[in-house]
Amino acid sequence: MAGVPKRILKEIERLHNDPVPGIDVESVNDSVRYFKVVMAGPSQSPYQGGQFSLELFLPEEYPMAPPKVRFLTKMYHPNIDKLGRICLDILKDKWSPALQIRTVLLSIQALLSAPNPDDPLANDVAEQWKSNEKQAIQTAAEWTAKYAV
Amino acid sequence: MVGRLEPLLALSAETTMLLLRCYLWKEESLLEDFLTDQDGTLAKVGLPEHPPSPRIETGDDTFVCEICYCDGSDEQFLALWCGHRFCSDCYRTYVRSKVLESESWRIRCPAPKCKTLVGLEPARLVLAGDTAALERYEENLTRSFVNDLSTFAWCPAPNCEYAVECQVPRSAWTTMVPAVRCRCGKAFCFGCKLDDHSPAPCYLVERWMQKCRNDSETSNWIKANTKECIKCKSTIEKNGGCNHMTCRECRHEFCWVCMGPWSEHGQSYYNCNRFDDDASKNARDSVSKSRAMLERYLHYFTRYNNHEQSARLARKLLAATEKNMEQIQREHTLSWIEVQFLSEAIDVLSMCRSTLKWSYVLGYYMLSDNQKTIFEDNQSDLEMATETLNELVENPISKDGPSIEEFKRLVIDKTTYVRTRWETILADIVVGLQENRWQFETE
Repeated sequence: MAGVPKRILKEIERLHNDPVPGIDVESVNDSVRYFKVVMAGPSQSPYQGGQFSLELFLPEEYPMAPPKVRFLTKMYHPNIDKLGRICLDILKDKWSPALQIRTVLLSIQALLSAPNPDDPLANDVAEQWKSNEKQAIQTAAEWTAKYAV
Repeated sequence: MVGRLEPLLALSAETTMLLLRCYLWKEESLLEDFLTDQDGTLAKVGLPEHPPSPRIETGDDTFVCEICYCDGSDEQFLALWCGHRFCSDCYRTYVRSKVLESESWRIRCPAPKCKTLVGLEPARLVLAGDTAALERYEENLTRSFVNDLSTFAWCPAPNCEYAVECQVPRSAWTTMVPAVRCRCGKAFCFGCKLDDHSPAPCYLVERWMQKCRNDSETSNWIKANTKECIKCKSTIEKNGGCNHMTCRECRHEFCWVCMGPWSEHGQSYYNCNRFDDDASKNARDSVSKSRAMLERYLHYFTRYNNHEQSARLARKLLAATEKNMEQIQREHTLSWIEVQFLSEAIDVLSMCRSTLKWSYVLGYYMLSDNQKTIFEDNQSDLEMATETLNELVENPISKDGPSIEEFKRLVIDKTTYVRTRWETILADIVVGLQENRWQFETE
């Protein structure tokens, strides 16, 4: 695999040898830049019990530029929009080249446990989350049961 | 400023500089914060009082670069004061990529969530050898100086690379126009970056421009360059700067602005520049109120637009005048200096046109009272003088006209008069705005 940075190969190796509990990363067609991820919904959250799939792409500039990550499973979450795009600071301006695929996925998992309706990507969901949190959590749980199985 | 603060804060020059940049060069708020909470202030730049000089090190077998995962004692690495070590190749790539995003002093240590700023010294160290990136870094530093300082702005003229300083505080912009002139010659308003719009303050200009955009359908037909002669109905295009029109067909002389006969303009009693409030009352009786408001707007807009067009024609006139000056030089054996009076007259004309144009914006939002009448009288006075001067320089020498000496005297006299009127009126408006002499319509 000539031309692939050592960094990426090392990361893949480490993810393989020492997998993150609850997060499964698999390369698509043996690509070193395109991955399918399956993430378990964190316990104590409305996403508990769900298996969410994501896609992750490492751009040419990686690790100087952040990876591109998107949910493929339909989500009811104030920081995730209809297309599965995620509003997370480390995927944007707070990206550091010392972060890795592993840390990014862990941050996304943490975002599922702690939604932040004050910095919304899906406005209608955030509105609901703020005005009637109980109802919003119930909807999220329903969507999890419906789509994330 | 750095030299002054450095001993006062007992910090290194580098830390002082970064703090000042973080505080957008607001010396006083930096001092205040620093003296109340030294550690908290330093935490903003993530630097100690005296950061050690950055050094590229090597020879540590335990070193692993967290970016490229290279390791071993052969690797060269660099760590800022925060202790996060990265290999020098990755550091260079990192800083270079940030520099290409137009960053400079705001670049932070590559470690996640680390607040330590990569200072100027370390940045220059890692970029050493990469001349292009280094140059860009220095350029970004200068750019950020201008962008961060509220008293500096880039000249909006295309291709102009100068920055302009303006000391008029933002709070004063409601009463005066922070007009500045760049070294390239461009005169603009520091507040809104539009062309100098003295004497109308920014907030009124913004409302006016918005209104003009919204009413563009109606103003479209006003903007059309043709009008009909009231007497013979032939279509007339205005192709000169003066408002004194003579119809080619029927020789009817009239004023382009009010379409009234010109004969009444020679005497100064003709109200060409103001919206007659009595007339508008009658209009309100017969037609709806909105129609009256539209008419009021159109009244001011026509005059505003008219001065704008005349100013454009004045620029054309300047080119013609330059030819004229050469001609006069040849015909009357005058020196170059002796014919400069013509171009001076055009300069004054352009300035007056701009002031008159924006004074109509001021007038539009001004509520009617005695003070407004005085304002409009002054406006009318300047307008009349401007038109006379315009007419004078537009048809300079004719065989049966005055001699060159006479003509020169006339132009110089008129120019001086107009310039004095212009200066007085402009100064008076500034004073008037400052002492709230006029009431303005609120939204």
